[in-house]
Amino acid sequence: MIELRNVSRYYQRGADEVHALEHVSLEIPAGRFVALMGPSGSGKSTLLNILAGLDRPSEGQVSVAGRKLADLSEDELAAFRAAHMGFVFQFFNLIPVFSARENVELPLLLTHLKKAERRARADTALRIVGLSERAGHMPSELSGGEQQRTAIARAIVTDPEIVVGDEPTGDLDAKNAEEVLGLLRTLKQEFGKTVVIVTHDPRAERYVDEVFLLDKGVFMGSRPGGAAGAAPAAPAHGAAGAHP
Amino acid sequence: MALPLAYPLRSLVHRRLRTGLTVAVVALVVIATTLFLALVSSLRRTLVSTGSPENLIVLRKGSDNDGSSQLPLEAYQTLRFVDGIAKNGEGEPLVSPELVVQPFFFRPDGGRENVLVRGVESVSLAVHDEVKIVEGRMVEPSQGEAVLGRGVALRYANRGIGSEMKFGRRTWKVVGILESGGSSFESEVWVDARDLAADAKRPIPYSGMRVKVAPGADRDALIRRIGDDPRWALEAKPETEYYAKQAESANTLYGLVVGLAVLAGIGAVFGATNTMYASVQARIAEIGTLRALGFSRASVLIAFLVESVALAALGLVVGVLVAWPLGLAVSKALGGIGFGAATFSTNVITLRVGPFDVVVAAALAAAIGLAGGLAPAWRASHLRPVEALRKG
Amino acid sequence: MKFFPFIWRNLMRNKLRSLLTGGAIALAIALVCILRTMPAGFDYFLEQLATNTRISVHNTAGIVYSMPYAYRARVKAVPGVVDAVSWTWFGGAVDKDDGVTFPSFSVDADSIGVVFGDLKFAPETLEDFRSHRNGALVGRQTLKKYGWKPGDEVTLSSLVWPLELTFRISGEIPADVDPRFWFQREYFEQALREKGVSFDQAGMIWARVDDAEKVPAVMRQIDEMFRNSEAETTTETEKSFFQNFFGNLEGFITVILIVTALVTLCIVFIAANTASMAVRERLRELAVLKAIGFHWRLLFVTLVAEAALLSTVAGSVGAGLSVGLTSMLRTAAGWNQQLGPLSGFVMTNVLIVQALFLAFFIGILSGVVPSFGAARRSVAATLREVF
Repeated sequence: MIELRNVSRYYQRGADEVHALEHVSLEIPAGRFVALMGPSGSGKSTLLNILAGLDRPSEGQVSVAGRKLADLSEDELAAFRAAHMGFVFQFFNLIPVFSARENVELPLLLTHLKKAERRARADTALRIVGLSERAGHMPSELSGGEQQRTAIARAIVTDPEIVVGDEPTGDLDAKNAEEVLGLLRTLKQEFGKTVVIVTHDPRAERYVDEVFLLDKGVFMGSRPGGAAGAAPAAPAHGAAGAHP
Repeated sequence: MALPLAYPLRSLVHRRLRTGLTVAVVALVVIATTLFLALVSSLRRTLVSTGSPENLIVLRKGSDNDGSSQLPLEAYQTLRFVDGIAKNGEGEPLVSPELVVQPFFFRPDGGRENVLVRGVESVSLAVHDEVKIVEGRMVEPSQGEAVLGRGVALRYANRGIGSEMKFGRRTWKVVGILESGGSSFESEVWVDARDLAADAKRPIPYSGMRVKVAPGADRDALIRRIGDDPRWALEAKPETEYYAKQAESANTLYGLVVGLAVLAGIGAVFGATNTMYASVQARIAEIGTLRALGFSRASVLIAFLVESVALAALGLVVGVLVAWPLGLAVSKALGGIGFGAATFSTNVITLRVGPFDVVVAAALAAAIGLAGGLAPAWRASHLRPVEALRKG
Repeated sequence: MKFFPFIWRNLMRNKLRSLLTGGAIALAIALVCILRTMPAGFDYFLEQLATNTRISVHNTAGIVYSMPYAYRARVKAVPGVVDAVSWTWFGGAVDKDDGVTFPSFSVDADSIGVVFGDLKFAPETLEDFRSHRNGALVGRQTLKKYGWKPGDEVTLSSLVWPLELTFRISGEIPADVDPRFWFQREYFEQALREKGVSFDQAGMIWARVDDAEKVPAVMRQIDEMFRNSEAETTTETEKSFFQNFFGNLEGFITVILIVTALVTLCIVFIAANTASMAVRERLRELAVLKAIGFHWRLLFVTLVAEAALLSTVAGSVGAGLSVGLTSMLRTAAGWNQQLGPLSGFVMTNVLIVQALFLAFFIGILSGVVPSFGAARRSVAATLREVF
């Protein structure tokens, strides 16, 4: 589903040139639940942004769902994201002036569906995350866990193939964190979605199929996650001899 | 696909203080400029609406206004039979000889001002067809009676029909009130010509005359006939042209007011831009999210433009709603607003906010909304999602 | 003021915002200044031209009613009167199409210098005026407008009399805001005689009284003298005369004051908006500073000082801008027929100082409310909210 080949990302910070990613190559097959982990500054967020089409690499190629992202213009990328991806962020990023239901409906505005249809789908998504009774509330009236679940509902309402999350449990307490991770697992298990999250929450390991490790912008390889279960032990993906 | 209208509108409500202050700024600018514009356009309208295209005003050559000209009696008696002049049912020429004097009138609040008093004959109403006696009756010859224009009646509110007014060297009895569709005749007082000549001690009883052109006649030929007559140095011109010239000084004033409005508008643009930039800054994460979700740059741009235009529109509505009654209240309290400091006669204006003034104010508000919102909206739409999300 | 760099740095933190706010305030102050020049021009006109020993005599019925010229001699003879000069409106225009662009009068040459001596004519000017039959004394404003110099020949067509006369500029009437044009009555009478008109009337008479205390008595005496004659007179001080003459402008002036007040209020809101935005963004910092040990009163003062500094700097830019704009207005619209002395558009030093004080005060005012709440907030509450 997602393929990176020799992807590097450099950018200027003041007078220095920062190497956020160095020649990263990896593959994420469809239907996998993957965690990108590594110390602070390892480039995992940058990697996530690139595979989600939010950022462009300085070097290398990115393919998602069979499309080469380099071939798409800004506006085409936007449309691509709308069609194929769902996003979950650390700080929930709900629009404060919209209710939970309206927030969930938001991605559907980019489609041609009629109001009744949009309503129906939003309600379905909310049911999946267990927030049907709170649908009419404003974000300020929801707890942290409820807000993140709303965000997940928004992420799946268009039924995208891929769900991407940047520290989805970062701002939650233990109970809510486990709930969210469980939900994300369900997305892979029951709906066959490809889920990629960036996290340094150690609890996440138990829920994912595979953990990709990054350090100082370099891909260090992967290991199976706690939920790999029946899946065969995944061979180490990516360039094993990554240079320092 | 565009973002729903609810997004920018609700965002305005979300930040009540900031929205409120900015709406107040736009509203104040609208009120100030509307009042000022209304004032001057009322003046212009009064001056420009005066006069009939079918009438000519005949004055001494070189004289630029009614009050400083003299018309020899013989000239009147001869010229009224010239070809091209309209006649009434009985065959009488529709020529109105008039005497204009500007005596002091003493206001109820103690001030004094020059008011144009027009001494007329009975034929005057037939020639000035826009002038109508709406209350009471016209003056009778040699009775010392006076008819007040509507503006004068309002300004000297304590002088109704039946009361006495002192101006010139004697007292006059008010017998009627005239209206002329808002033109400057409403700032005049009409009396019998002979009464006025006696009071002002004018040896020549008339200062000029108004002539109605016969329907179908050649107006320019008539103008030439009157002007070329070698016996008297007179000049005829269409009434509308005469009053339009007087309006020119008001035009300069209008230009001044528009200039001030532009100045104020630019200030308001800065204010609105400030607010919108802060709005964008506070919602960077939100914008990043929307872009990440797939909303195009254009949709974000439009959403923020809608927000700033809505701000300005609100300011416009509040501003007009306040300006309209405020203008009327102020001019009522002041007894009308006078102009004509250096023209020796006062034009009385009521501060009425007209539809055209509202249109100008709306244009100003729209400009403020668009100009103020453009740069911030551009910034919002060109935020790279990655950076936006990072900053959030 | 060791905190000045701190305050300055805070303003520079968001240059765009400070610039936009400053720009808005500068424009608004410029607007207020321009508006204020109008009624101020009127006051200045009254102050500059009116003395307390000069009185005017006019026909009670109105300015356009004349009085017998013989009245002048009789007024001169009243005890206490130093000299009397007559004025008769000429209504001259340089260009007929433009109409009257400045007031012109025929006056008595021998008395004008005495009755209006306080204007401090240059002696050569008066000499030239007296020795040339067609001499003219012209106000500074008019001289500047047309670029005339002493010695120039100028022709005016009267829009009231059937006359076109040529004059020689003798010199200026030395007052800043004065457009008047004075020439000899002799010259005027003679020109009329040539047209077959014998003229024995006068428009107005101005007299100088030797002692200010005597003025009320002299005024009464003059009016008594002419009571029940064919032209009754009203005598009043010069200041009173001009106040009445332009009295019908009071309404307009009121509207100007209202508009000025609205614009001032506008400035308050603009400044307050910015101050509150700035404060809201810095809540975290304020909490940290207080935690470190800065007293809330100090923080409050720096916040208010910031608003006041921005406002005052912007105000001075605005005042400067208004000086330029009013000089443009003077050229474009000076002595507008509808406005008279309101259209002088002169930015005086007093007005500039007033504008600066206004800006400063508004800065203080707008900074106070948002800053007060923010500075007083407890550290814990803020940190809880923000982190």
